[in-house]
Amino acid sequence: MPDVLSTVQATFNSLDAQYTLLLAASTNPQQRTALENQYAVAQQAYQMCIGKTLSDDDPQVAALSMQLKATNLQVAQSVTEMGDISKVIDTITQAVTLAAKLAAKIAV
Amino acid sequence: MKRSRMAIAKIRGQIRVIASIFVCSLLLAAGCKTSEDAASAATQMSTTAKSLSDYYTALNTILANTDQLYMLNEQILAKPYTAENRQLMKDNEAELAKRAALAAEFSTFAGEFAKLAGSTASADVAASANKLETEVDTLASVKASTGEQNALKTALQIFVTAIQEHKEREAARAMDDIAKGLTALFIKEGEVWNSVETNYTRTAAVLAGYLVDHDATDQSALLKVALDPFGLMPSVVAPELRAALAPLAKQQIATRTAALDASYVTATDNMTKSLQEMSKRIDAVADDRPMAFRMPPATVANVEKWTTQVASY
Repeated sequence: MPDVLSTVQATFNSLDAQYTLLLAASTNPQQRTALENQYAVAQQAYQMCIGKTLSDDDPQVAALSMQLKATNLQVAQSVTEMGDISKVIDTITQAVTLAAKLAAKIAV
Repeated sequence: MKRSRMAIAKIRGQIRVIASIFVCSLLLAAGCKTSEDAASAATQMSTTAKSLSDYYTALNTILANTDQLYMLNEQILAKPYTAENRQLMKDNEAELAKRAALAAEFSTFAGEFAKLAGSTASADVAASANKLETEVDTLASVKASTGEQNALKTALQIFVTAIQEHKEREAARAMDDIAKGLTALFIKEGEVWNSVETNYTRTAAVLAGYLVDHDATDQSALLKVALDPFGLMPSVVAPELRAALAPLAKQQIATRTAALDASYVTATDNMTKSLQEMSKRIDAVADDRPMAFRMPPATVANVEKWTTQVASY
């Protein structure tokens, strides 16, 4: 899957670009902690992907990559709409969890 | 009649001798040509491999800058940068350093090979052989971490042995294998290095935009276009003017981000072309075909332009 790395990078870069805004919108310490955790996990997933030579013949990696792409779009949409911050953080958590799964999958 | 027959036989004999000398001269000339081609190909490969090493080193500078950027983000924007993630960053830097070291070793070996192939002076040969001994020891300390790197390391060792044993043709073939291996590795990992560069520019642009928004940048440079023609220097810009200049500063961040990314893409494209071209040229020498070029591929200069640009960050 040639674009696994770019998809995981997109998750991290998107969260990095929106982080200040999301942190300001967080209304309680739990939300802030959740956001901080997701940021650290997204960064870790990206760093892990960089460190490995990517394999493009694993169908599971391909499926996860497609899912992450779709979730990245949902994150972008929910951040733009900026409705319920809890739901935004949930969507981010979904995306980051997928990114972490992908990073673990390609880790040799 | 007998005398004229003898004269004809003598002339034939002389022609045979002259022809033999001519053929020998041709063979010698061909031998020299091969040696010249091998020496030239090695010199060009040395330059190209040095450029590849500089390219990897520039990417390592970008990773080191990204590490500093993450630390700034942690301090200024409270973006977490865990010790574990920092270690991953350091591991990635170490991986890049290995590639830079391998390319640098190859550059040195190719340079020494060029000296051996191009020189008949015994002092030069002895000096180059001694240098190779030292380089082999250095190579042993470079720990290869992938199959491709291990294969490259093995090819490098074969190359060095062939040079030390003065087996020029075998050395050329080994150099051919290394050039192909380096090219394949470079192309295979292109996506990763592209990501390293774009992640840096994107992350830096986010922080730069925040600093502009929070009045933490000197935007007086934007006024140069209006003041320079009149020999005037901008003073400390007033807060209202800084606010008015903020959109221009942000536009500059976006424009420069795109320009930096484009400059990287061009450098990578040129690096790929240089490696592929050198691979073709060395392939010709290894196969006993003539190699007409005496200068490294022109595309190498463009790679150097980018590495110099990164060094100035």
